Amino acid sequence: MYDVIKDPSLYNFVRGPLVWIGFLVFIGGSIYKIRELILLAKKEKTVIPFLDLKFSLRSILHWALPFNSVNWRKRWVMTVMTFLFHICLVFTPIFLLSHNVLWHESWSITWWTLPEGLADIMTIIVIITSIFFFLRRILAPEVRFVTFTSDYLILAIAFVPFLTGFLAYHQLLFPYNVMVILHMISGSAMLIAIPFTRLGHMFYFFFTRAYLGSEVGFRRGTDW
Amino acid sequence: MSYDRKSIPDLGIDESAKRLTPEKIEKTINAVLKGTGARLKAYLETCIHCALCSEACHYYLSHDKDPSYSPVAKVKMTLWEMVKKKGKVDADFIRQCSRIAYTECNRCRRCSLYCPYGIDIWYLMALVRRICLLLKVVPQYQMDTNYSHSATLNMMWLKQDDWVDTVQWQEEEVRMDYPTARIPFDKEGAEIMYTPIAPEPKFKPQLLAATAKIFHAAGVDWTMPSFDGWDNSDISMHSADFETMARVERKHFEAAIKLKVKRIVMCE
Repeated sequence: MYDVIKDPSLYNFVRGPLVWIGFLVFIGGSIYKIRELILLAKKEKTVIPFLDLKFSLRSILHWALPFNSVNWRKRWVMTVMTFLFHICLVFTPIFLLSHNVLWHESWSITWWTLPEGLADIMTIIVIITSIFFFLRRILAPEVRFVTFTSDYLILAIAFVPFLTGFLAYHQLLFPYNVMVILHMISGSAMLIAIPFTRLGHMFYFFFTRAYLGSEVGFRRGTDW
Repeated sequence: MSYDRKSIPDLGIDESAKRLTPEKIEKTINAVLKGTGARLKAYLETCIHCALCSEACHYYLSHDKDPSYSPVAKVKMTLWEMVKKKGKVDADFIRQCSRIAYTECNRCRRCSLYCPYGIDIWYLMALVRRICLLLKVVPQYQMDTNYSHSATLNMMWLKQDDWVDTVQWQEEEVRMDYPTARIPFDKEGAEIMYTPIAPEPKFKPQLLAATAKIFHAAGVDWTMPSFDGWDNSDISMHSADFETMARVERKHFEAAIKLKVKRIVMCE
């Protein structure tokens, strides 16, 4: 097995073409899915006429702030966990030093970088909150009742890149090159999965919120 | 935990479920799903099964947090299953759907306001109700009300003479206290058209008298139609019988146009 790992062609593949595939499928797939949704919405009589920019933005902002909505306050543990999870999940990979070095090596572009210690803590937060979500699926009866295998799978898709990234950075469990290859494979898998699984809530969120926010606003109500 | 309920006999559900065939079920479900669009797609592909909608539901709260009463569970046990099996479900499943969609969800929409994504669970349950309605597997009382709307355009099987008679009787009652008070029928060009719901003339006519007293004291220029369109309720909407719903609504607004009133004021 180690011969395969030591062979640089595998590393070169996951470092090069696989990442390209990952990003192209992610961007192309997302555009395709959003376009598909908008075209469908145009056919439905009751969607577009309700949409209102002011109410949509109001609703999105209302739920984007922690403890702002009634349910965020009622479920405060979940709120803390979900906000930490999503903030760290989105921002750690974008501003991670090692990733930025790769961008710089490939395209000579640079942007802000998180201090390594902070990035490490943010990765640990993703790992801990993922475990929280996993336990919640098992332990909370109302969540267990509506849990399918796919729910564990999409949690794993989001979780594994961070776990492998953390282990690679600290050179734990497997040799560094094994871990980093696993990290790149799982990272690309996550990018590819986003448009085609329920991870697509990343962009669907804005559409479903916009619609309900508009309808609530249309009826002169406010988001709870 | 699963869907475990005491059996409650209901003619509307049990008898009509016996007439179902797998082909009919499949055809109906797929016809309804084909008529949907962006909303159903977005809702199915967004819901992350977090169950944060649970505590919005009074059925869930009043059944000691039984998970099978949570809004997302109701969608799971009905619509997700239909979509997953592409309509290949049996009559027992449709009976269960009817019971869930009609008697364990009253479409208050609180869950939509608890959902971080704003998923309109009310809309999803309406689709289930629509499927059950087209298959005629609907609780008997609900279907009866629906038929009443269809036949009489009010929800209580009131005929026009019942309605006119009741209102005139209440006018007499009001005039005992206020000799100049009136319940003016069909007054063209009045400021407002007041419409009650049909249970008022049917069961509590004194409410009409009370309203008349208020309008009299306030000196409001008001009227009520003596013809169909006087009932502002529309239970067909709740049965997802959109054809009857539209007829009832149209008649209500047409009554206002016919009387040339400026505004409609509805009770409740």
